Amino acid sequence: MGKAQIKVEGGKLVKVQLESEGDRIREVRITGDFFLHPEEMIDDLEKTLKGSKLDEDALADCVKAFIKKHEAVLLGVAPGDFAKCIVMAGESSG
Amino acid sequence: MDTGLHDAFYNMALDEAIAVARSRSLVPDTLRFFRWEPSAVSIGYFQGMDEEVDTNACDKRGIGYVRRRTGGGAVYHDRDGELTYSMFLIQSHRLVSADFQESYGTLCSGIVNGLRLLGVQAEFKPINDIVVGGRKVSGNAQTRGLNVVHQHGTILLKVDPMLMFAVLKVPNEKIRDKMIKSVEERVTSLRAVLGRDVGFDELKSALLRGFEASFGIRLAPGVLTEFEAQKAEELKAEKYSRREWNYRR
Repeated sequence: MGKAQIKVEGGKLVKVQLESEGDRIREVRITGDFFLHPEEMIDDLEKTLKGSKLDEDALADCVKAFIKKHEAVLLGVAPGDFAKCIVMAGESSG
Repeated sequence: MDTGLHDAFYNMALDEAIAVARSRSLVPDTLRFFRWEPSAVSIGYFQGMDEEVDTNACDKRGIGYVRRRTGGGAVYHDRDGELTYSMFLIQSHRLVSADFQESYGTLCSGIVNGLRLLGVQAEFKPINDIVVGGRKVSGNAQTRGLNVVHQHGTILLKVDPMLMFAVLKVPNEKIRDKMIKSVEERVTSLRAVLGRDVGFDELKSALLRGFEASFGIRLAPGVLTEFEAQKAEELKAEKYSRREWNYRR
């Protein structure tokens, strides 16, 4: 299992635990002291990311699209921070 | 209203109960003060309990731990060192903006104002902190649902970083001392700023005046309704005291 964390400058902390299969996400868990509204969207976001390719730009687009679709609000971190942290976790697991 | 001293599960359950009551128009917009007995750690909605809290150390010391309904970080709520507040506003309230960051600033201005009445040069620091001379004295967190905006937060009267890190997880023991030092540099308390102890009643009355002045409102004393009290017990039993909730991440 891969793990990574990012402290966003002037923002919050994101931690990712990742199980990957090849270059794809099998399971991802995003934790940290950021804000996402509505909060329960985090479970849907993690489900949505399942099967996605471990590519930073593609993941950032996926998170952005998810937020837009659900009219969610992310505070203290940006979609790109989630993406970056997921990719880092993927690299850490080798 | 002041709901006094309660355990962590009840405190968080009551917050949700009041939000539900407000959403059903059973109660007016509400300001609640409360404290924690026993002292407890609360973690943000998105945090991992085992990642953030040394639950064994908590169990040994009789310190509670609970997941909040709001995001943000892990907070140690000392029974005697901290006052917690919650406010509940209907979403259409003139103080509420669709923009979260703006709402934090507006709602925190009541606290900033109250602290200034005590002679503390407090300032709001985005995203969700109140600082004095750059050091955090208050952390705040907001959630919205059922057409209600709920913001809660803490004001530190005195702080003990050693105890704080006895119950919060540190990445490894070697950096525990360093982290304690860094908290001493980043966090302050009313006692440290004013050089004297501030009592809970003194702080509450300053905050009440601060909210009234900042918001242009008049606060009236209130008590919990039967619905709120009952809903709180129900949410404590069925949600906040449960492992499924507290360890869901």
